[in-house]
Amino acid sequence: MSAITGQALAARPAVSPRRSRRRRRDLAGLLYVAPALALVLFVLPLGMTVWMSLHNWPLLGLPRWIGLANYKALWNDKAFWRSLGFTAHYTLFATIGLLGTGLALALFAQGTGRVVALYRTAFFLPVVIGFASASLLWAWLANVDSGLFPALFEALGLTSGRVNILATFDPAFWSVTVMVVWKMAGFYMVILMSGLQAIPADYTEAARIDGASALQRFRHITLPLIRRPFALALVLCVSGSMLAFDQFYIILAGGPQNQTVTAVYWIFNTSFVSFRLGYGAALSMVLLVILVALSVVQMWLLRDKEEAR
Amino acid sequence: MQKYAVAAAGGTAPDALSLDLIYTPSFAASGQLQDITDLAKSLPYFDQLSKAHLSVGTYQDRIYGLPFSADSSVLVWNKKLFREAGLDPDKGPTTWAEIRADAEKVDALGNGVDGFYFSGNCGGCNIFTFTPLIWASGGDIFNADGTEATIDTPQMRDAVAFYQGMVKDGLVPAGSQTDTGSNFFAAFATGKIGISPSGAFAIGALNEQFPDLEYGVTFLPGKEGGSSSFAGGDNFVVSSGTDKMEAIKAFLDYAYSLEGQTLLARNGSLPVRADVAKEALAGLDERYLIAAEAMANGKTPYSVVFNDLINSANGPWISMLNKAFFGDEASIGPAVEEGQAAMQSIIDTAG
Repeated sequence: MSAITGQALAARPAVSPRRSRRRRRDLAGLLYVAPALALVLFVLPLGMTVWMSLHNWPLLGLPRWIGLANYKALWNDKAFWRSLGFTAHYTLFATIGLLGTGLALALFAQGTGRVVALYRTAFFLPVVIGFASASLLWAWLANVDSGLFPALFEALGLTSGRVNILATFDPAFWSVTVMVVWKMAGFYMVILMSGLQAIPADYTEAARIDGASALQRFRHITLPLIRRPFALALVLCVSGSMLAFDQFYIILAGGPQNQTVTAVYWIFNTSFVSFRLGYGAALSMVLLVILVALSVVQMWLLRDKEEAR
Repeated sequence: MQKYAVAAAGGTAPDALSLDLIYTPSFAASGQLQDITDLAKSLPYFDQLSKAHLSVGTYQDRIYGLPFSADSSVLVWNKKLFREAGLDPDKGPTTWAEIRADAEKVDALGNGVDGFYFSGNCGGCNIFTFTPLIWASGGDIFNADGTEATIDTPQMRDAVAFYQGMVKDGLVPAGSQTDTGSNFFAAFATGKIGISPSGAFAIGALNEQFPDLEYGVTFLPGKEGGSSSFAGGDNFVVSSGTDKMEAIKAFLDYAYSLEGQTLLARNGSLPVRADVAKEALAGLDERYLIAAEAMANGKTPYSVVFNDLINSANGPWISMLNKAFFGDEASIGPAVEEGQAAMQSIIDTAG
């Protein structure tokens, strides 16, 4: 390693022009495929969505150009803003739950050894189940007449009698959020663990010798050093939660009383229940803008201050 | 529905298909369907075909859909539980008060038995089985051409209060409140439900899957008697611009023949041609005759935005019903008024 570095350093002036030529060639290659990739994977679908959002575009029949009317209409669409509000509410609690649990699990399962590996596997297992199957499983567990949870809560004396936990907002919301945490925490555990394992043992060792408490070591060494994986986890978690759909569709069908209709759920309803594809496209654009803004803010907040300078 | 809509939008729609009858107005309005008025009127038995199917098969006085299969809504009761509760097992309820009284007696058996079941969070189930209670009492939910919602009626408020009362008194299992339709058939099939509104389809399904269940079939009653039914099933429609009209006519001639109707009946559909209905059902479970009679007196609501109003899991119909069924007495008025306003606004936006 050090030999290679030494060599590279020594050869630096001589290599420089060749290296830049190779870089230029790499860049050129990338330039050749970039348009196709960008066009097919990103620009085309996005352009199509923008185009659709400027039309009255029924699923059946012919689209009609209406300019910005869809965007004007969505300004007054209370149901959409309510769904966005609920999505934000869910994102807040899901993110706290997921990253908190993920970090705790990562701290617990970062060591080596068979038993720890077994735990790690167990924590990660739910991640590989699809959201739809996990939701179906949960819907059955929460069923008041034949499921496990209501009977369990009754037996534990938490509720008086058998209560339908999916029928009122708070228990319904929390049962879905807990399901998501159970299912996805393992994923964030892995991301955060990669950061934890990259922290050199010397740092903690040195701090310990200096007499820093476990809490201080965590606060001043661990947290700053896992900032990058944490930023990645945060961006993934927030954008994933903002796009939540399956769990609320399958377990709650947006209920009770349409209080758990998320933004994507509302877009789905608009497009495929009401067949207003153009309006659905306009809503999607708004959601996209919000997501991009949120991600930019998070990246900026968690940017590496050393690097920024 | 969505599949056909997507296929039609992509230009790969089949020449003809059977489509849930309720969507015929919406597809006809979008210009996807062939006007088959002449073909329909040329059939010698045209006036024997199901009126309900034709009413939704007609758009702006032209016919776009012809009856294909049929399913009516009925009330089923568990004879074994009736006997145990000391009720006459061969006599189904004929008014709301009788439903209520019978359900109470069955519910009193305890041991996991409930008096009544309905899917309390399922728009499709309730348009099928709850609206007939209103129709039979003289109310309706839309005007004839579906341009006005007529939800806010005394009949609606009464019917909702009738269900709400049974929920409050524990005659209905708690799961009903969040059942989006998955238990619509299954709950009664467990044999632990006294009475449940259901459909003709259940006769075949119960006989086949639960042969030991003893049950009776009767009409969905009005408040003080009378009866009604939701005339459901599929309409036969033709995609616009097809060049296979000959074959389509031959197919229809066969489907409407006694042989065709018998074949359909054996596969769980009620006959759609009145003059051969009895013969087509000969030899089948006699309870089908009740369902067929319910069909003949059945109604189908007419709306070009039916999916939005009624079938959507988050639409105004089921939101209103769910709120009112499981709320208190004071919640009925606001829920019904809100439902009326929300439905009218969807109709107006579409029109």
